[in-house]
This record gives sequence, structure tokens and C-alpha cells, in this order.
Amino acid sequence: MAHRTAIVGVGQTHHASRRKDVSLAEMVGEAVRAALADAQLNVKDIDAFIFSNMEAFEGILLPDHGMIAEVGAVGKPGFKVTGGGTTGSEAVGEGCHMISSGLYDVVMVVSWQKHDCGDATAGISAAAVPTFAKGLVTGAVSEFAKQALSYMKDSGAREEHAAMIRLKADRGACRNPYSHLKIGLTSVDEVLKSPYLVWPIRLYDFCPQSSGACVVILASEKSAKKMHQKPVWVADFEVVHQEPFRAGSFGDPTGTETYSQHVACERLYKRNGITDVRKQVDLAEIYEPSTWEEISLYEHLYFCEKNEGWKLVERGATEIEGEFPVNCSGGVLATNPIGATPVLRIAESALQIRGDAGEHQATRDIKSAVATALGGPNWTALFLLKRSL
Amino acid sequence: MAQASPQKQPEQPEYISIKYDLPRPYHWSTGKYLGKLYAEAKENKKLVADRCPKCKELHLHAPTPVCPKCKVDMGWDWAEMPLTGTVFQYTYQVYPLFDPHLGKVFADPHPPAIILLDNGVYMRHRLEETDTKKLKEGMRVQAVWEEDYERRGQGFQDILYFRKIEE
Amino acid sequence: MAALTEKLEGMDVWVYHGQINIPNTYSAGAVGSRFLIELRDNKRIMGTRCPKCNLVYVPARSVCRDCFGQLSEWVEVSNKGTLLSHAIARQPTPVQPVPPPIIYGIIQLDGADTGIVHMLGEVDPTQLKVGMRVKAVFKTKKQRVASILDIKYFKPLRTK
Repeated sequence: MAHRTAIVGVGQTHHASRRKDVSLAEMVGEAVRAALADAQLNVKDIDAFIFSNMEAFEGILLPDHGMIAEVGAVGKPGFKVTGGGTTGSEAVGEGCHMISSGLYDVVMVVSWQKHDCGDATAGISAAAVPTFAKGLVTGAVSEFAKQALSYMKDSGAREEHAAMIRLKADRGACRNPYSHLKIGLTSVDEVLKSPYLVWPIRLYDFCPQSSGACVVILASEKSAKKMHQKPVWVADFEVVHQEPFRAGSFGDPTGTETYSQHVACERLYKRNGITDVRKQVDLAEIYEPSTWEEISLYEHLYFCEKNEGWKLVERGATEIEGEFPVNCSGGVLATNPIGATPVLRIAESALQIRGDAGEHQATRDIKSAVATALGGPNWTALFLLKRSL
Repeated sequence: MAQASPQKQPEQPEYISIKYDLPRPYHWSTGKYLGKLYAEAKENKKLVADRCPKCKELHLHAPTPVCPKCKVDMGWDWAEMPLTGTVFQYTYQVYPLFDPHLGKVFADPHPPAIILLDNGVYMRHRLEETDTKKLKEGMRVQAVWEEDYERRGQGFQDILYFRKIEE
Repeated sequence: MAALTEKLEGMDVWVYHGQINIPNTYSAGAVGSRFLIELRDNKRIMGTRCPKCNLVYVPARSVCRDCFGQLSEWVEVSNKGTLLSHAIARQPTPVQPVPPPIIYGIIQLDGADTGIVHMLGEVDPTQLKVGMRVKAVFKTKKQRVASILDIKYFKPLRTK
């Protein structure tokens, strides 16, 4: 990249099912002020704004129109990104593009989703192309159900492994003051007792719909050096789109579809000389809408060999105290405001690298992290963040 | 001074929520390629897919002008699909979810499935059998068409579901 | 799952007519709620004031557009004001609050620094004039539900 980009401030709201106490604009405003406080910047210091949000889910067209004043963007350049599950990452990517081109010095990425306004499952079902997919898609859950079935069959993983992922996520969420679902699970059996939504996905296997916002402030190297916070560098990123045309969206049962994860990882890892992710990178914040998808992502992101993902889970390698912590924050399973979720992955990784994650800080010293996003139908965004370049 | 996001929502006697339902009508065109699938289904109760001139792969979901893999024009080479196959994978809905096309909460009793048609092409559709205990991966199934000509013209939905073939 | 498809004349192209219906709930938030509750319970129109810029926002907002300050000072504004602009909608659409023709106006209430969009009633459209004085007409107590439509419309102030 021409000009190097750093994350110089992060802010988020306390994510919840319902935020009746604030309007949409006010909720986003909370995260904006938190990020400005973290960076110790005045809103006047921001050169441009990027908005990240999935519109169908709030039922309002162009929701950013009603929040320009609340965000402090009056009279400033603004851009909107809407890209499914990967929206937030693509927005941060756009910010990096703007800074590395030299066009702007300080860019604020504002991301949110207020799920109490609408119904995300309905929204996702409505994304089915009516002429050939209507009636055959039941929101995201059925797609992940198919993925889980394929994974169980191919790898020998059992429902207990998915339950262990939920326990890990809940432990992290209970230590993260901002997370949404803090259940307090204590055993695999508790998870296995939860009811099925779309078999074999149980209630506890799936992510919630959260109302919340997350804001990240990006700055060029020149400006970052003068700022309050230790910069977290965006070393590299990849965004890969996909349109599966055979049968599965996330877990291709035919074995012939190209995975956007593989494409993104092959390019990014090669560019950065990464051949053994668990040794050369310290932490990951991945986008896992279901417990099964997390296990499968360990393989697709090349953290381990094919069909070995569940073995990492069994030996606790990805716990907060583990050799390769994944989703110390509780991940998407605990908190999922869709438009903001990928930005939360980047923000949480930045906090870990800065050592500012409080009670959910990983035990190992984190110098680098991989933050991912997953969108339908199987788009991938991949960010590599580092303490120093 | 920045206003921190509240850890617990503040108590206020009354919060106003405005509920509204805005049905959004849409009119989607199939275009020429998907239109051929619709035409064959309606007129002849046949299921067709187009074939890429370069990689020779068949596109059922959905017939398309450009091959996703090779990125070349597909031309106009059509093949008829067999209407029998094996159930590769199925799932079933337990918890009813809101269906935006119906405007209400609904659980489709017919399990969605991936069917491996006898020519090696994978197809997404529903199974007739609603008793989940009777479902099995690998069972042989065949397409059941909507017999009323007037009610056909819905593309893939002209096949109602796949029925188990009794041995 | 019935849908209506329609074949186009003379070609194998079909149009799929459908509809998406996702139920929505919009939170007015603490500030918005107070504004609406004052309309419903007290027939009062309230705004919020920025002490730094000395601006009063109606309907009440939580942030000052100019200085980014957070607003917590509530002031009552008059239910009388000046008509800044007007337009008449004659075509029916599915989202109108009342059947057309509807006269819309932007009204600056006495004490406010912003305009509020609402409807005009009890007025002959040919007599509309930018600058004319108007007054809010509220619905009955039973009809008021904490909505912007608790104000039925604005009518001209007759000056004798």
C-alpha cells in the first residue's frame, strides 16, 4: 500500500437485544463518541466518513440519512457500504483505500445494526432471488444447517465439539462488558439440551440478532504518529466475492465449489510470507455465525489441516489461554449486529494487540492478528493487523 | 466529554415504538436463460440446464448467460435433466421463522434437501415426506410435477417436491 | 407458496410478481419519546436547545448539528408559526396518512429555529401564501397516540 494505515481509535455500544431507550441515530452516536474518546480526537478532526449497514434489516431505506448530525458528519464527505455479512470489513477496506491513496488522512468507519427494528431472518430470506430461490431458503439458519451436516459427515466431528465452541464463546462473552449474550453456561450437556432450530442447528449453536454499533477510526502513518493511542497497523487485507451455483452456500456438499476463504488466504498469506498461521500469527477474531462454521473455518482459513478442526477444539488450543486464541471476545455467537460485526472483529483484534482488552485479553502477548468476515453466499474478507510493520 | 454507552438501559416511564408494516411489491424478470427453464417446465414438464462451451459444466441453479467458472458466454446449449435422483442431504425446520414472502411466521413442513440427480447434477428442492423419522440420506426420489397446466409457470416451483420411489 | 408469474408476449421471458413484507418497529428513543408524549398528553410542542449555538430544534433532537454538542435543555415552543413553503400532493400512493389531495407545508413555529413538515387544513389552496401565519390543530384526547399525527394539521390564523 502506498500510505500505511493504522487503527487509532475504537468504540462500541453495549450490545443488547433491544435498545428502546435510543433512536437509531442516538445508538450510533454512542459508539462514535466512544471511539473519539478512545482516540482523544475531536469530531472536527475526521476528514471523511464511511457508513456500514445492511439496510433491509431495519426496514428503513437509507438509514444513514437520519444520523449525519448525530455522527458529526455534517458537511463532510461520506460513503455507504452494504455487502451482506462482510459489510463492515469492506467498509474498513474502503477506508484503507482512501488513506493509502493519500486522499484523506483520518477516516471514521461507522457501522451498526439495530435488529430490534426488523427481522434479520426475514430480511435474509427476502434476499433469495425470487425467480429461482424463493421458497427454498429459510434465512441463514438452513444454509448453516446444511454446512453442519456436511462437516459432521466428512470429518467425524460430533455435536459435543460444537457444544465446546459455544462454551468457549460464552466464557469470553461473560468477560467482555460489551457483549450481548452472557448465558453463563457451565457444561456441554447444557448446550446439548437446547432445542433445535433447523436440524442439526440448536438454539445455542447459532448467533443472536443484536442491536449495537461499532466505530473504528483509521489514520495515515503521518497522522497516526501524532495521536494518543498506540497505532495498530493494517498490514494487509483481501475481500473475495463468490456466487455458488451448485448446491450449498457455505459448506459445499458437492466438493467442487471454490471457497472464497481459500482464495483470500492463499493470496494474503503468500504476500505476507505466512506458511504456518498458528505459529506466525498470534490470534484470530473470525466471523462464525454457527458453532459448526467456526470449526470448519479453522480448516478453510488454514489454521489446521482438513478434517482436523474439531481436534483443535478438543484440546483447547483456541481458548483465551490457548496456543492460538480465537474469538476471546465471545465472537459472533455472543454478539451479532450484522452491519457492525466485521468491524467488531477488527476492533477486538486491535484491542488485543494494544493489550487493552481487559478481562478477555488473551494470555499470550498478541503482536499480530487475523480478523475475518463471512457473508452470504460465502464471501470472505480477511484482515491482517500488526503491532509493528 | 463523550457519553458512554449505558451498561444497563436507563429506566424511563415510557418509550415510544412505532410499528409499521410496509409490504414491498417487486417484479423480477427471469430473462432469456432462466426463461427457457420456465418455458420447458410449463409446456413440457421438463427440467433443463445450459452447458458451458468451455468447461462443459451444466448450470441448473440457475441457467445463466455467463459461466461463473470460465467467465465466457454460455451460448445456447441445453440438456434435459433426469427427474430421478438420490437424497444427498436434507434438513428440516423445527422452529417456525418469519417468512417475508408470506408475511407471517411459518415452518415449511416439507424438508429442504439437496438431491443428486442421476446425471450427477445437484439440485435444491423439497421432499414430500413430512415425517422426519422416515427420511434417510441415500433414498431414491423422483420429481412430482404440478399437473394443472394453468398453475404451472413458476419455474422450479412447478415441481411440487420429490417423492420417495417405492422399491 | 403461490406466486404470480406472467409470461411476456412473444418471448420465453417470465416476470415474477411478489412481495416482501418484513414487520418493523422503530424506537423513538428517550428524546423522541418525550417529544411525542408531550404531544399526546399535554398538547405541547417541545424542542431541545443548544446553549452554545442558541438554536432550538423542533422536533426535539439529541445532537446539535453545528457544534456536535449533546442537547438536554427542553423548551416549549408556540403552537403558532409561519408557513415557509407548501406543496400539494394529488396522486395517491400507499404511504399517505390521509387520502389525497394533501397540502404539505413547512412551518417554523415561534421559538424554533427549524422548520417542521406537516399538513395544512381548513384552507383554500388558492389562498396559500408563503409567510402566512398558521396554528396547530390537535386531535381529540382519545385520538392522540404519541405520534406526529397527533397534530391533525395546521390551519391559517385569521387576523381580523
